[in-house]
Amino acid sequence: MSAGKKLLIIDDDPDFVDGIRSILLSAKYEVDVAYNPKDGIKALQTNPYDLLLLDIMMGRGAEGVMVARKIRKDPKLRETPVLIITGIREQMAFLFPGQAVHPHFVPVDELVEKPVEPQLLLEKVSNLIKTAEERKAKA
Amino acid sequence: MDDLFKILIIDDEEVVLDSCTMILEGGNYDVATASNGELGVELAQDFQPGLIFVDLKMPGISGFEVIERINAIDPSIVVIVITGYATVSSAVDAMKRGAYDFLPKPFTPDEFRLITQRGVEKRTLVLETQALRREKEALREQFAAIVSHELRSPLGAIQQNLFALTIDLAEKLTDDQKNRLDRMKVRIDDLLKIISTWLRAISGDISQIRDSFKPTDLNTVILKAVESLQIQATRKDIEIITNIIESMNPVNGDEVTLTEAMVNLIGNAVKYSRGGSKVEVQAQQEGDKIVISVIDSGVGIAREDLPYLFDSFTIGKTGTAGERSSGIGLSVTKRIIEAHDGILTVESEPGKGSIFRITLPVTQADLI
Repeated sequence: MSAGKKLLIIDDDPDFVDGIRSILLSAKYEVDVAYNPKDGIKALQTNPYDLLLLDIMMGRGAEGVMVARKIRKDPKLRETPVLIITGIREQMAFLFPGQAVHPHFVPVDELVEKPVEPQLLLEKVSNLIKTAEERKAKA
Repeated sequence: MDDLFKILIIDDEEVVLDSCTMILEGGNYDVATASNGELGVELAQDFQPGLIFVDLKMPGISGFEVIERINAIDPSIVVIVITGYATVSSAVDAMKRGAYDFLPKPFTPDEFRLITQRGVEKRTLVLETQALRREKEALREQFAAIVSHELRSPLGAIQQNLFALTIDLAEKLTDDQKNRLDRMKVRIDDLLKIISTWLRAISGDISQIRDSFKPTDLNTVILKAVESLQIQATRKDIEIITNIIESMNPVNGDEVTLTEAMVNLIGNAVKYSRGGSKVEVQAQQEGDKIVISVIDSGVGIAREDLPYLFDSFTIGKTGTAGERSSGIGLSVTKRIIEAHDGILTVESEPGKGSIFRITLPVTQADLI
């Protein structure tokens, strides 16, 4: 299932990234990391990814939101499923009133809170990839 | 010129206006006068004085009404009443309507200077209080932001790595080591949960928990709380006794925060009890209310500390074994109970112990 699937993590907390990458590697995903929004966008534009794991609270504020907006505007990138990882759910409610649980930045996305239980993380990742693939097949 | 303290004098007698202005001359004041109530109220708005003297007896609108209108414009303006008929009742009446003090006519220049000074001091204090209150609100909001990011992020990173290590080391660790890893995860998870609760309590939106209210069995809540404190209690040789009526109605509530409230109260009881003593948790139903009491025979609370007990950041004494107080547990507990339409009260006697009592309404569902 996960064989050959390529994921990108955009998150500015290297320790958190280590924790999450290790879990994804153990499930045989290929994982790239960008530690800031700028490198993240560059990576997305140069390589195809099966899924993006995106941190919201980066830098001086919700810089992850800027990344999400850029992805949404790009007709090709917006087909990439996104797993949004946020420090705290309330922040999402604050940033996007009325859509706390499911942000709908892009056609296929979901939200989880940090820290993420390994089982939940792997479940969400594989489900999102599957949903995005089914969407693609239909189109 | 901005440093001058603005004073407005409202009186229909020109002599009074002139003499008062003269008395204040040379002081650090900017004085304006009005010869009737209407003009006075207008000037109160345009001139923006910090202190206003008002004659009670004037033609046109009365001094009493002037006081009320000034209060409506800006309640931080200090009003002092000048009264020709220095009866206690009219002065009391004026003060009831918001006047700060009164000055009976006739008065000496010294008396006038003195009461002016008091008025100025009062105004300064009022403004300072307002500024402090605003600052406190800002701090509260800032604190919430800091807590959410600065505390949760590192803990989240640690937890994520514990999750990862559990998988990475699955084959290498002994059962005892795995067990310890699991306990670490539980402790960090507890910490993350507590931070979330504090955050909600401090940012003032604890009432959000109401959205997830459902019939909750307090028996379970209390037993969970007691269980989580058992290790602490045993370590201090304190016995927690529960005396719970089994057949209580459920309450409409949130199990997680109610458990936290109980953990806070029972935890405090353990913290402030001496070794070898007992902490008792009673629960019983009284009509449509459930009353939970947490009783200890510990160090107790001084009478003068009781009024501030439930305020945030009122740091309590250290526990009998040197446990630290964060000054936030009781304030959060009170907010949790109040979000459940309940009441939290305390009785205490220094040296003898304390009783914290929660009263919660039972769920209305089975009363319909």
